[in-house]
Amino acid sequence: MDAGERQVQVRFTTRLGSDLRVEATAFSLPVHLNRYGLSQIINTLLALDGPRPFDFLFDGELIRTTLEQLYLSKNLSAESILVLEYILAVGPPELQSSQPEKDWVSAVNGVNPSLILSGSYDSFARAWFPDGTCGSVLKGHSDAITSIAVAGSSNDTDLDVITSSKDKTLRLWKVPLKPSSSTLSSVRIFKGHAASVQCVAANPSNTQVCSGSWDSTIKLWKIDSEDEDNEDEQALKKRKLDGAKQSIAQVTAFTTHKEHTQCVAALEWPEDRYIFSASWDHSFRQWDVETSINTLTMTCSKALHCLSVGGEGSLLVATGGADPVLRIWDTRMPGTVVPVLQLTSHTSWISSCKWHRQSPKHLLTSSYDGTVKMWDIRSKVPLQTVEAHKDKVLCTDWWREDTVVSGGADCEFKLFKYTPIEWL
Amino acid sequence: MAASDDDALQVLSGDDQDDGAYSSDFEEEEADSGEEEADLDEEEGDFDDEDEEDEDSDEEDGAADGNVEANDSANHEEIREALLDYIGNGNAGADGDEESDDREAADESDSSEDEAPPRNTVGEIPLEFYKDEEHIGYDRAGRKLKKQARKDQLDSFLDRSDDPKDWHKVYDEYNDEYVELTKEEMGMISRIRQGKLPHAEVDAYQPYVDWFDWDGKGHPLSNAPEPKRRFIPSKWEAKKVVKLVRALRKGWIKLDKPKEKPRFYLMWGDDLKVNEKTANGLAYIPAPKAKLPGHEESYNPPVEYIPSEEEINSYQLMYEEDRPKFIPKKFDSLRHVPAYAEFIKEIFERCLDLYLCPRTRKKRLNIDPDSLLPKLPKPKDLQPYPTTCFLEYKGHTGAVSSISADPTGEWLLSGSRDGTVRVWEVQTGRCKKVWDMGGSVFCVAWNPNPALPVVAIAVSNDVVLLDPEVGDEEVQLNIAKLLAVQPSTSEPTENTPLIGWKRHDKLRGIQLSHQQNVVRVSWHNKGDYFVSVSPDGNNRAVLVHQLSKQQSQNPFRKHHGRVADVLFHPARPFMFVATKMHVRVYNLAKQELSKKLITGLQEISSMALHSGGDNLILGSKGAKLCWFDMDLSVKPYKTIKNHKEDINAVAFHKSYPLFASCSDDLSTHVFHGMVYSDLMQNPLIVPLKILHGHQKGERSPSGSSMLQSYPATSPGVSDIKFHPTQPWLFTAGADSVIKLFCN
Repeated sequence: MDAGERQVQVRFTTRLGSDLRVEATAFSLPVHLNRYGLSQIINTLLALDGPRPFDFLFDGELIRTTLEQLYLSKNLSAESILVLEYILAVGPPELQSSQPEKDWVSAVNGVNPSLILSGSYDSFARAWFPDGTCGSVLKGHSDAITSIAVAGSSNDTDLDVITSSKDKTLRLWKVPLKPSSSTLSSVRIFKGHAASVQCVAANPSNTQVCSGSWDSTIKLWKIDSEDEDNEDEQALKKRKLDGAKQSIAQVTAFTTHKEHTQCVAALEWPEDRYIFSASWDHSFRQWDVETSINTLTMTCSKALHCLSVGGEGSLLVATGGADPVLRIWDTRMPGTVVPVLQLTSHTSWISSCKWHRQSPKHLLTSSYDGTVKMWDIRSKVPLQTVEAHKDKVLCTDWWREDTVVSGGADCEFKLFKYTPIEWL
Repeated sequence: MAASDDDALQVLSGDDQDDGAYSSDFEEEEADSGEEEADLDEEEGDFDDEDEEDEDSDEEDGAADGNVEANDSANHEEIREALLDYIGNGNAGADGDEESDDREAADESDSSEDEAPPRNTVGEIPLEFYKDEEHIGYDRAGRKLKKQARKDQLDSFLDRSDDPKDWHKVYDEYNDEYVELTKEEMGMISRIRQGKLPHAEVDAYQPYVDWFDWDGKGHPLSNAPEPKRRFIPSKWEAKKVVKLVRALRKGWIKLDKPKEKPRFYLMWGDDLKVNEKTANGLAYIPAPKAKLPGHEESYNPPVEYIPSEEEINSYQLMYEEDRPKFIPKKFDSLRHVPAYAEFIKEIFERCLDLYLCPRTRKKRLNIDPDSLLPKLPKPKDLQPYPTTCFLEYKGHTGAVSSISADPTGEWLLSGSRDGTVRVWEVQTGRCKKVWDMGGSVFCVAWNPNPALPVVAIAVSNDVVLLDPEVGDEEVQLNIAKLLAVQPSTSEPTENTPLIGWKRHDKLRGIQLSHQQNVVRVSWHNKGDYFVSVSPDGNNRAVLVHQLSKQQSQNPFRKHHGRVADVLFHPARPFMFVATKMHVRVYNLAKQELSKKLITGLQEISSMALHSGGDNLILGSKGAKLCWFDMDLSVKPYKTIKNHKEDINAVAFHKSYPLFASCSDDLSTHVFHGMVYSDLMQNPLIVPLKILHGHQKGERSPSGSSMLQSYPATSPGVSDIKFHPTQPWLFTAGADSVIKLFCN
């Protein structure tokens, strides 16, 4: 170490378990150290068997510069002791499986931990099992699938899945949870949209579904009650007996929201009370379900393509659209024009964004530039960037906390697994 | 001194009061210079002598004081003249006084009322002096005038009673006689007694004659008579003059020296005095100065000026005009310097330069070039507008000739020279549908009515109507009905229909076969009518088709030139027909020509109409863009030469104030084109952005040779269209790629 180099006083704290704790004394460290250097120091202090990467937080922000730059940017006195909290770093993900599909993969859903659902431009939706085998194929739509939502399960054997499609309809499927390859047909069809349905979302209590469409409306539909489902099962059996000519039960919307002026591109139903919608008319809105009132409207400068609600207390809304910037808005500040956070790293349109289901700080985005990025909102730089696809990435989602699924225009459906991390 | 003072006073008292006043002043001044007292007395005693004395004294002074310049005399002369004038006046004044005395005497005699001089000459003495004497006085000859005998009361009474005139007789005690008052005198007395003026002819209240000329004076001047002081010489001035005279004589006042002519002067100095030569309007420009010799030209120049042998040799290789005129050389002494060989030549050349080169004064305009530029808002403030390409629509194998967006903005239609028409999903760039048209596609147009998603495609000689299958069931049914060829109801009509509406051979749609290549199709805003353009069709170049009735009609009997493009007005029944040089606006309701726009362009290639319908832009083969404000004039409101090569297409945005042009130079120019609803305000045009990205395509159409090559494909950006709702721009290139530029 250079004797003439300046040194700063650093003290490490952590909320990790006791085996990963270092003594709370101040160390004198050279200023040129960055995250990697600090991580090395922690590793030597802990004398771990294998090296484990750590990330360091100062004042709630991840350190992405050297200590010297940190001091300068924060205007700190060189004599003050720097208190750094360290957490386990998220390592680069490993490609777990890559499944070729017949056409562009336009929708993925990883809500259910036992299977992954994907929708494709070949009008089929598929259920994938963790071992990478394709289970059921959901056949019935006449055009590309645009979005998939999971509406829970009425029993342990199968899962209610709703798909939206460019053929202007939504369909409800009962997807068996146990691995079996079969071709399914839809249980119910939701008709009423005048143009392509772009997005679908089910409420957390799995009783209602909302869908947004190119006819710039949001329609709310009821998933029928269980006894009807039983009847349906009977009907299904009947249909199997009678042949495919039997018409499927049709559902019509019970509410329509028409305030959006252009295509409704994304919907999210984080709580039973309200829905969030994002539209090409540059706005995203919050709707009260019971009163059918638009309770919040926030306007961005670009057309919006995706939206995700999450963060601490589900108060932050991440939106991506027709530009490479991921914007995070605070719903508690309804009058604001400027987002709380603007994350720029992508080079093309953002096709989807998803908050981590447990962590309020982690966020996943996919973009037309072929990458999937994971963000920690404590840092303006993405945590991890994966060159996931050779062409546009159209959809991405979390699955089982640490796995990322993505589908793209290169007709591939991919799973990436991050090292097990403690998200919170 | 006091005595002399008194003397002076006595001397002057009889003469003139004024003189006395200043003589006394003199005395005070002269107090210190006692030696000249005698002079002084003389001087003051007799002013007339002053001339001589002055001269004398001058001479004396000149003799005494060698410093006194000869020039002094001139000034002296002047002063003395002034003095003389004054004194002369004074004398004249004195004379005048005498004269006036005489005149007064005459006046007195004139005004005297006594006609005859009084008999008695005793004067005005009390007459009681002669009370006891026999006589009352003396006559002019000195003889005693005897008192007349006193009449007693009785006699006098008798006289009075005898003489009727007695009552106006008055006894004159001075002359001791009775004077008979005349009638006038009586009248006078009676007037005095009445308190009137004695003279009847004097009118005390005659009308006032205003002697002052008030007109144009503007200032009320006093009409008081001129005061006396105006007519008498000023004492103060006289004092001053005497003082000056004295001071001059004593040499206290020194007069200025005359200016001496400088012995040395700049020979060419006045060349620089341009002011003198330009003062009276002469445009004189001084000749440029010849260069002065420097160290180089010295006979003994410093070493560094002397060129080396190599340098001198290198001069030979140079061009004549680049070669140095003078090569410095060293001489031991000035004597060794030879005559300068070039002298005559150089002088001659300079003279030639001076008189053959006309010198003109350059009038430099002092204008800040920035101030000439129009004040335009910054592009940053005019956001949003398309800037970056995020999405490409790839799939065509030949140059994309035409694109058209679905009115909702979800789909994009493109036609290519590879013979296919594709429908793209705007958001993802996914190709939804491919139709193989079996011929080169010149133009595609999506029906602007969102309830009727039908596309019209111009393929070589045909216009094909197809269903892009994007509507819901009801719409699909409707379209299927529309696109089913109706059996011609009125079959036995003698005149064969203009165009046959046939079922397309391979695709589910209608085919309208024209006689010539169809290069443009354009829909009416309502989506029922569309127009097809086949430039070689002569009188059938423009045909209007109605979708609902499946009928075609030819609205024009003939065209004035080759038709390039046709558009419908978005709201009113107008049709814009662009021929090579002009745009004609036809009123379809009245079936007449309503306007003819004179473009001044070489050849119109494309046309786009603002959504308001009053503003039109034209792109031309001469790389010029014209903006027409049809309310303003039939001439272009603005002509912009922005591209380097032919403009292929122009486009207006439906809702944002944007328009764009694309060209063979591979660039697309985006402009802000704000049209104000206020008719008085002209449209605002601001260039915003130049979009690049397309590759050079082949000029000749690729693909099989059976595809017709008419019209020649453009090698650059062939078509542009704005997204109907977003500020995005689609550009189609000859490189078979369609790009989407977003804000």
